[in-house]
Amino acid sequence: MNLIKNPELLERLASCYALGTLRGGARRRFETLAREQAPVRAAALIWQSRLSALTELQPQVAPSGAVWTRIDNLVQGDLASKAFAARRVVAQTADTAKGAAKATVGWLQSLVLWRLATVAGAAATVVAVATGFEMRDQLGGQIGQLQAQLQSAPKIEYVAVLADDKSAASMLVTFDANSKKLTLQRVGGYQEAGDRSLQLWALPPAGGPRSLGVLGQDKVLRLAAADRDVREVPTLAISLEPKGGVPSETGPTGPVLFKGALIQKML
Amino acid sequence: MTPDYYLLRPLKSTLQVRFTSLRANLASGPGIYWPFSYFFNSNSLWKSAFIWFPAKKRGMHDNAAMNTQLQDATLIDLLDRIAQHDHAALKALYELCASKLYGLALRVVTDRDWAEDVLQESFLSIWRSAGDYRASLSPPMAWLGLIVRSRALDMLRRRAADRSHLTQDLDDTLADTLASDAETPLDTAQASEQAWALHQCLVQLEKRQREVVSLAYVRDMSHSELAAQLQLPLGTVKTWIRRGLDQLRTCMSRFA
Repeated sequence: MNLIKNPELLERLASCYALGTLRGGARRRFETLAREQAPVRAAALIWQSRLSALTELQPQVAPSGAVWTRIDNLVQGDLASKAFAARRVVAQTADTAKGAAKATVGWLQSLVLWRLATVAGAAATVVAVATGFEMRDQLGGQIGQLQAQLQSAPKIEYVAVLADDKSAASMLVTFDANSKKLTLQRVGGYQEAGDRSLQLWALPPAGGPRSLGVLGQDKVLRLAAADRDVREVPTLAISLEPKGGVPSETGPTGPVLFKGALIQKML
Repeated sequence: MTPDYYLLRPLKSTLQVRFTSLRANLASGPGIYWPFSYFFNSNSLWKSAFIWFPAKKRGMHDNAAMNTQLQDATLIDLLDRIAQHDHAALKALYELCASKLYGLALRVVTDRDWAEDVLQESFLSIWRSAGDYRASLSPPMAWLGLIVRSRALDMLRRRAADRSHLTQDLDDTLADTLASDAETPLDTAQASEQAWALHQCLVQLEKRQREVVSLAYVRDMSHSELAAQLQLPLGTVKTWIRRGLDQLRTCMSRFA
């Protein structure tokens, strides 16, 4: 069928098609032709457009006021959900930006890392505590040892340098408070005769000289002495006595060879 | 064929509204449309005017055309703003067009509640797809009308499916309308340029032809549906529609 060569038939079919009264197989055939041939399509569109004006010619009737309220509510809801969606898009964009920042410090966010670090920390704590106990035991032993050493170490409290009448140093005397011993060291070249002995005397400010002991032939000799023997004794002296010395009560019988102040050591 | 159960409802209320609307048109007195209301509601007078005073008719039409163009521009502007989600524009459009579009919806579905649902759905559709208007190349009022008609036909199909268990009853009121002198007035308020043209051709039709053509289009009814609905022989309906369309073609070719 060549509708284009039969304009009157084309117009009739197009108007029936647009009105909706062209139905069934005839409608389908017309639609096929319209797809194939532009003039047929144009005629259909023209009649659709013409008859659509029928919708404009219907009488007006005022709807109830509730209709606009309902439309308004729905539209406001639509706007609100749009705004919500827009906010969510913004939030997601921000999240993406954060994600990019996170990538740079990503390893700090690693759960495995922090778990391993925790385990390592705990182990280190156990080791440290155990080591601490052990070291305390060791140190306790060392401290005891050092305290013992300190106890045994000489504590020099008093020093005296005894000199002859020419002020030549001849004898160094020290007193060790720990061992309660006087140590005498000959520094000069003096050597008494074989039948003679040197005797050490304390010269307290009040009362006569008191014997502290008799010196042997040794270069260094030690004499037992009590604290009170040396305390508040300003001067020590050594006299030449007969072999074996003289009793303390009698006082020195021979000449005093060396004499010097006993000094309490402050340092 | 799906029976049109949706036409079971009496049209009394609808018709009352129509007459009220007609009276309102006539009572509104001299206005921009009043000569048309006068001529078009009185068929023979309009014809005589067309025949004897073509110059005068043309002059009035120019006046109306200016008004139509102004109105189209207003509606297009509103649709553009609605496409930008301008809520105030939607309200303005509603205030301008709601009565017109509700009248159309009511004409299709014949039930006030359904028609209100159709109007609501249509305005939501307009809200969402106003951006598509520009591509349609239609006059804005025709575009809006097509949306409402489409929604209203959807509603009819839904209701027909809901009510398919009921037996078909005949729409006596509608049949009476056709038999009597009363007719559904054509309303040219807010009509576009092309609607004016169609209107001028429609008013030349015999009343029953005009009504049948109008119903066929607005309710998307076939010949047999119309025949059943209007209690007329199928042949009669076919004849009326054919003659009506023939006359429209002759008449419209003058405007095309």
